[in-house]
Amino acid sequence: MSLLSLFEGLEASPIGVFVKDRGATFACIEAVHLMALALLGGAVLATDLRLMNVLLRDVPSSTVNENAHKVFKIALWVLLITGFFMLSGVATKCYHSFYYWVKMIALATGIVFVFAIKQPLLKRDHSQINPWTLKVIGLASISVWFLVAASGRWIGFSG
Amino acid sequence: MNKVLLEFAQWLADKPWSTGLHESYYLYNWIETSHVLVLMLCLGMLAVIDLRMLGWILKDVPASKIAARLHWPMIGGFTYMFISGILLYSAIPIRTTQSLWFRIKLILLLAAGINAWLFNRHLARSHASWDLAPIPPNRTRVAAALSLLLWAGVVVCGRFIAYDWFDCGGEPNPPWIDLAAGCEVG
Repeated sequence: MSLLSLFEGLEASPIGVFVKDRGATFACIEAVHLMALALLGGAVLATDLRLMNVLLRDVPSSTVNENAHKVFKIALWVLLITGFFMLSGVATKCYHSFYYWVKMIALATGIVFVFAIKQPLLKRDHSQINPWTLKVIGLASISVWFLVAASGRWIGFSG
Repeated sequence: MNKVLLEFAQWLADKPWSTGLHESYYLYNWIETSHVLVLMLCLGMLAVIDLRMLGWILKDVPASKIAARLHWPMIGGFTYMFISGILLYSAIPIRTTQSLWFRIKLILLLAAGINAWLFNRHLARSHASWDLAPIPPNRTRVAAALSLLLWAGVVVCGRFIAYDWFDCGGEPNPPWIDLAAGCEVG
């Protein structure tokens, strides 16, 4: 089974038909997706700007990270679930969209980066980590999630 | 009132830069994209403040400190969204003026602004007594929940503007919808 037929199958599935045929369903899912994006943005920016020593400088970075990461995980789950439903309604269009694949690669990179690199590193005592390492981690994180959001928005303009 | 608003929209739509903005694929789409991206800054910071006021996160950090540190990034984001929102409006002024969702969005924005003003006043007057409390008093939590609900409504209506539901001159609407959307004949 090719990847294209998998996408076509998703769009033709009862979920895909339901999302596609009822404009209001897609729009409501989109709105929830946007709210979760804002929540994820808040968590990412609060943590990463703290790591870069730009924001919340008088609050321990470990405290900000621990709290924001809980919010991040909730927002990410909501984004993944709503994203799947949105995809099911326009799967074929997404398959042919360059920006969709940019978003998917950035999203996979972001998830691996957060759970395999950033969080394991930030579990250590932050005072023992080189400040420049923290700054680079923060900047890389903001950049990758910016790319996820920007390419996601651009899917709507393509095709 | 609706007639005046429509005349203003028609005047705006006749401006070459309004047409240019609407017809420019990259400029219009980048303004819209940045409008959405800055949502992460503006509403993201607001969400962190409100979640602290609800007593859900950062419980061991004084609530007023979180509000003070995140206030200006949030305002910066809001300012950008306001300006980019005006640009998006001026690119499609006639349809947007007569959009039910746009009108509800403006009302919700106004309500969120009033709620924020009252909340800041309440915070300035009373935070000394509960600043370190992991769970702030009921009044604070209600204001924070209301803030999140109002902004969620703003996001929903903002997204719905793109759809043609209840557009003037499209599918026939109930009279009260046409009245609320400010549909003018002709």
